[in-house]
Amino acid sequence: MVNRQRMILVCQGTGCISGGAEQLLSSLKREVAKLNLGESIEVKRTGCHGFCQRGPLVVTEPEGFFYSKVKPDDITEIARSQLPGGKPVERLFYRDPITDMPIPYYRDIPFYSRQQRTVLRNCGNIDPEDIEDCLAVDGYQGLRKALHEMTPEQIIREVKQSGLRGLGGAGFPAGRKWEACRRAPGDEKYVICNADEGDPGAFQDRSIMEGDPHSVLEGMITAGYAIGAKQGFIYVRAEYPLAVKRLRVAISQARNKGFLGRNILGSGFDFDIEIFQGAGAFVCGESTALVLSIEGKRGMPKPLPRPRTAEVGLWGKPTLLNNVKTFCNIPLIIIHGSEWFAAKGTERSKGTAVFSLTGKVVNNGLIEVPMGITLREIIYDIGGGIPGGKAFKAVQTGGPSGGCVPASLLDMPVDFDSLTAAGSMMGSGGMVVMDEDTCMVDIARYFLNFTRRESCGQCVPCRVGTKQMFDILDDITQGQGRLEDIDLLLELGEAVARSSLCALGQTAPNPVLTTIRYFRHEYEAHIHEKKCPAGICQALSSPQGLN
Amino acid sequence: MEKIALTIDGLNIVADKGMTVLETALRNGIYIPHLCYHPDLKPSGVCRLCLVEVGDEQLVTSCRMKVEQGMVIKTKSPEVDKVRRAIVELLIADHHTDCRNCPSSGQCELQRIMASLHISVKRMRPLKWAREELPRDTSNPFFDYDPNKCVLCGICVQTCEVVQGTSSLYFVGRGYGTKVAFFANKSRCESCRQCVARCPVGALIPKTVR
Repeated sequence: MVNRQRMILVCQGTGCISGGAEQLLSSLKREVAKLNLGESIEVKRTGCHGFCQRGPLVVTEPEGFFYSKVKPDDITEIARSQLPGGKPVERLFYRDPITDMPIPYYRDIPFYSRQQRTVLRNCGNIDPEDIEDCLAVDGYQGLRKALHEMTPEQIIREVKQSGLRGLGGAGFPAGRKWEACRRAPGDEKYVICNADEGDPGAFQDRSIMEGDPHSVLEGMITAGYAIGAKQGFIYVRAEYPLAVKRLRVAISQARNKGFLGRNILGSGFDFDIEIFQGAGAFVCGESTALVLSIEGKRGMPKPLPRPRTAEVGLWGKPTLLNNVKTFCNIPLIIIHGSEWFAAKGTERSKGTAVFSLTGKVVNNGLIEVPMGITLREIIYDIGGGIPGGKAFKAVQTGGPSGGCVPASLLDMPVDFDSLTAAGSMMGSGGMVVMDEDTCMVDIARYFLNFTRRESCGQCVPCRVGTKQMFDILDDITQGQGRLEDIDLLLELGEAVARSSLCALGQTAPNPVLTTIRYFRHEYEAHIHEKKCPAGICQALSSPQGLN
Repeated sequence: MEKIALTIDGLNIVADKGMTVLETALRNGIYIPHLCYHPDLKPSGVCRLCLVEVGDEQLVTSCRMKVEQGMVIKTKSPEVDKVRRAIVELLIADHHTDCRNCPSSGQCELQRIMASLHISVKRMRPLKWAREELPRDTSNPFFDYDPNKCVLCGICVQTCEVVQGTSSLYFVGRGYGTKVAFFANKSRCESCRQCVARCPVGALIPKTVR
């Protein structure tokens, strides 16, 4: 049961666990018991705080002391600090990377103070395996209100008016999808949560499922009521065992509390959720491929023109498919109303965006920011800039199919439309920062290597086109580039983007096209002068290569 | 039958409701290159060659697009040609082009498409030729599969599944490594040879021919 008096929160997200946080939790519990503090202090497991780079993380409440990089040897001291008159463990405080000044409190750390955590509201604050903890922070209040005070039509109107756009990548207006699904004829409908987060370096959905699984369930149940579905599925990667485990615990607790199953909260509405584990194909994040995968078939996207999944989806029935983060926003929109949500963000991109900030940036981790914030604010204010005094070169947004945005666009607002205009995309929310030591040809080659391998192989431009483009890029990085290669890459890139069957192929050339658009001189240096300006391509950086 | 009036390449054409743009064009003597379309099968839309321009420069696969009243279709345009040419050249660069020794030479759809677009191997954009020669699959008692010639149109897969109801061959692998393979339980193949007859190129060859 929640005891808000004194708490020691120990992060048990995948990042901190890999740093030994499980052992920290058990020894801290032992230590607290040894000091006879067990009555007054609760040692609690939480989900991810987002600042994984500084893990394992321990936070004490109510003071809000934030301890980073905690080791087993520090446990006794942390426990003793809780004794009457005890002092905080100053040497474990986070230190500002520039001034080296210790920052004792969670709320004062710049990484957090500039964020707007709404989707991530509970991650790091509650025990994800204890539904009571979730109920104490208004868990399932949105569902209660939806079932008892609202009609399905009112819910859909609220979601539409909020301006929420799907946060899985494409940004399709969520309310319109819900409405189409509700209107589609048929008694049998399904809700699917897309948790097939396959982008290299992206971990937003995983962290949410690990840190706040009940919000995902609550959003899905509300959606089921709104569209008239009785069954939901969570399509989650098998590579996320902790997320699967916590979802399982959450589902069973929600059933026991009457939030899932028959006659939910006495409303007469029945709904249940099943977990389906994907086998690790990136393309199965595409809606039609995902549906085929649940049906037990080979995951290959269906070409347009075709009916939308909202009309003809799983087993041919109308199916509502949304991303983890989209569902997490639903309880908030129901509780606080559409106007509250629409007040955040920009004119055409409402709410917040969750990013995995990685690469050459001082503060790595999971962040949530209002739509419309600039890239500069994310990278310099939250991210703390580029380490080692190096210069910023580019940031790649939106996963492996995103584009590389140069320094000249750092003041661009981050929203669906601006990113698309710059040749990149919002995507699922990966954000990889690159410094001056990054070779842009090598980066394009790296990302294309991922997408070409993950192509499902059915359509010609994606299957063969990405392979050709990769071979050309590989040659350029090996010093075998030909004069005509840049034009050829542009031509092939355009053909692949325009003619591929699904979004994977249509966006795969983005890293190549944007690096040529913004860093053409680097390609030219590789091809004409046989030089790699960043000194990354080994075949060119060697003394022989320079001559 | 309800009639639909549309324009294809400037010609006024009347089609039956429910027909696709590709069927309508072919029936009216307008050739649109295509590899994965077969009149008896569901259009899979994977070869991407039958892309046409509908109205405002949007490229759509004509095999899956149903005719609509007043539609304006361009089967050739600078946009379409650019993309289609690239796709054909990508296929050729990836294809075993020893046509003289291929039993399908003369009946090959890829040859027909190359001729219709005036593409010759000598005057292609400088693509990389497929580096390695993949081994043939000779495990089926009745015919062989040559992955070096396969364009992965999926006609054989769908034919086996729909026409014969056996599904003894299917896609395996991912990305560039995708190919057609026989399931371990080969006894299911009834040797109807429909797949061989429908292969648009020389990827499925009866054992007797060699």
